[in-house]
Amino acid sequence: MVFVTGKGGTGKTTVAAALALLAARAGKRVLAVDVEAKGDLAAALGGGAVRFTPQALQRGIYAIALQAEESFQEYLGLYFKVPRLARMTPLARVFDFIATGVPGPRDMLVVGKIAYEERRRDKSGRPAWDIIIVDAASSGHVVSHLAAARAMLTLVRGGVIHSQVEWIDELVRDDSRSTVLLTALPEEMPVVEAIELGARLRSEAGISVSGCVLNRMVLVSVSPSQRRLAAALNRDSDAEEVRHRLGGDPAPFVESVQLASQLHDRSAEYARQLRAGLPAPVVPVPLETASRSGLAMARAVADALAKDGT
Amino acid sequence: MTVATERRRGERRRPAHREWPGFEMGERLGALRVVVCTGSGGVGKTTISAALAMSIAATQDARVLVLTVDPAKRLASALGIKGIGADPVTISRARLRRAGLPARGEVVAAMLDMKSAWDNMVERYSPDRRSAERILKNRFYQRISDAFVGSHEYAAMEALYELHEAGEYDCVVVDTPPSRNALDFLEAPARLTDYVGARLLSWLAGPSGVGLRAMNFAATPFLRLADRLLGGDVLSEVSDFVRQLQGLYGGVQKRARDVYRLLRSPQVGFVVVTTLEPGPFAEAEFFAAKLREYTMPLRGMVVNRVLPPTLREPSSAAAATTLADDPRIVEWIAQHLGERYAPDAVRGVGRIHLMFNALAQRDARALAKLERIAEVPVSRIPLFTDDVSELEGLVRIAGLL
Repeated sequence: MVFVTGKGGTGKTTVAAALALLAARAGKRVLAVDVEAKGDLAAALGGGAVRFTPQALQRGIYAIALQAEESFQEYLGLYFKVPRLARMTPLARVFDFIATGVPGPRDMLVVGKIAYEERRRDKSGRPAWDIIIVDAASSGHVVSHLAAARAMLTLVRGGVIHSQVEWIDELVRDDSRSTVLLTALPEEMPVVEAIELGARLRSEAGISVSGCVLNRMVLVSVSPSQRRLAAALNRDSDAEEVRHRLGGDPAPFVESVQLASQLHDRSAEYARQLRAGLPAPVVPVPLETASRSGLAMARAVADALAKDGT
Repeated sequence: MTVATERRRGERRRPAHREWPGFEMGERLGALRVVVCTGSGGVGKTTISAALAMSIAATQDARVLVLTVDPAKRLASALGIKGIGADPVTISRARLRRAGLPARGEVVAAMLDMKSAWDNMVERYSPDRRSAERILKNRFYQRISDAFVGSHEYAAMEALYELHEAGEYDCVVVDTPPSRNALDFLEAPARLTDYVGARLLSWLAGPSGVGLRAMNFAATPFLRLADRLLGGDVLSEVSDFVRQLQGLYGGVQKRARDVYRLLRSPQVGFVVVTTLEPGPFAEAEFFAAKLREYTMPLRGMVVNRVLPPTLREPSSAAAATTLADDPRIVEWIAQHLGERYAPDAVRGVGRIHLMFNALAQRDARALAKLERIAEVPVSRIPLFTDDVSELEGLVRIAGLL
């Protein structure tokens, strides 16, 4: 299980989709899980709305979205053998209210369902999925999801729940079966939050982060000769000739080169800060990917991640 | 009419700050008592809120409060905010002027303290001191005020309403919390009333004074189930909390109504902040539509981090493609421009420009769409490659608003 999380707007959904694509390329059977159920993950994988039951989106990729009410029903069904109730809405609402306030249950629904999928076997007895990629809740909430089992263990000391929760807790803390991948941008707040989140996951949930994808990085540096070239292409004396040979206007090159140089410095500085504060590998994804959207963007990010190799 | 008279007329009409660019947004919003900045997380909402407050202070002699939620360290230090719960910081007219703002008013910066906003609410609506304390000590309350969906939004709304009522400021600019969904802010009061007032909760709380634990568990499958799921202690704590909360119901409900009335009043305006990236952009469109649906006044949109428009030139993309793909161009440049550049350097310049050109074209498409659908002025703030770390940086943005 790979939980992908980070501050809102740092590209976690696209990274989750990219990982799903990479795994599918490698021939794996992938389950992509959209925790916040806003439909963004399915869109990034080129599909429409997905529900609570796995639905095929791409070759080898199935997706589910965790809606609270449905997860509640299935949770009861899975773990307590409670039949589906005909009129669940008011009950689910009350449960929702209680679950919000008590550490555990609501978050357990999320992590419990994912853990259930991890354990699921098909008819021939092999695991239903080779890999489960979770587009998890952003920063703060993901800690409560992943620490839910641990919190429940302190609350419930025996009975059905205790043993249920125990194996889930073991699962999420087992580095060989479950991991967290962060996302960030080369900007102040996202880097600060990624470092803090890494520390909180360690201290509150006992989970270590396996890496951080740093999106929208300008990786190529600009050399003095490139600045000279951009300026030389804009010399008045040669303007007509240059335009003709290049087939267009080179005037904006000066601005592009300038911008690239500033963004490159900023990217390098924040990558340094992130590496200094987070004891895990940092994988940069170039800014180029940001000019696309949806599946095309996820594919571009997948290519970038594959190239990095980490 | 001669040119001279025309010019003289023009001069007469010039407002005092004419030599400064912009501040139009400040002028438009200046008459409002409350400005709510919303948008996705990570679009620079807090920075824009602070700049908006300055833009308003530039156009009139007003005391403008900017209530921030979670400012980045550099921004907080630019504003002089020390931390959560610290006293509001006044940025005087003189200080604003030194930073380059032609200030007529002053700006006060404060940071929202979520926890105390909730505690204040409990204290305000509790029938007596004892029940207030009982709630504040309840473990369930302590958790819910933090984890409840929309709790931060509700706290922001409460603080906003209080500040508005106190009337200490001419205008309050509020930065909304980074929600999972921008709508959480609008729906927070209704949701809270909903929870507090839900009939099922009354039923959960049981007949007055009896409470959940005293009820016959075997009689209701739900309670049996809940007990199994959550454990008995938890349930009794919940039921106690719910019973206490019912005492607050009347107050909370009235407050929610008052807040909605305020948000719909002509004294209030919403400003949606976005970037041109697909995610935040879609969210901004959705939110603007929702405001219309709720009959809450959207007064402006701010598009942050726009790439320079010159980068979108289609003809420059053709030129960059030649640099990136035509291997003979290196030789041609050496012959015609008098300097020999490494082939990689030449290709690199082409590729760099192609990247920014593609991004700028995406910006242009999104901007065109926005201008087609927006019924309010759209302010564009260019991408600044440095984080705002000084008051001067905010003043620069204020001028562009």
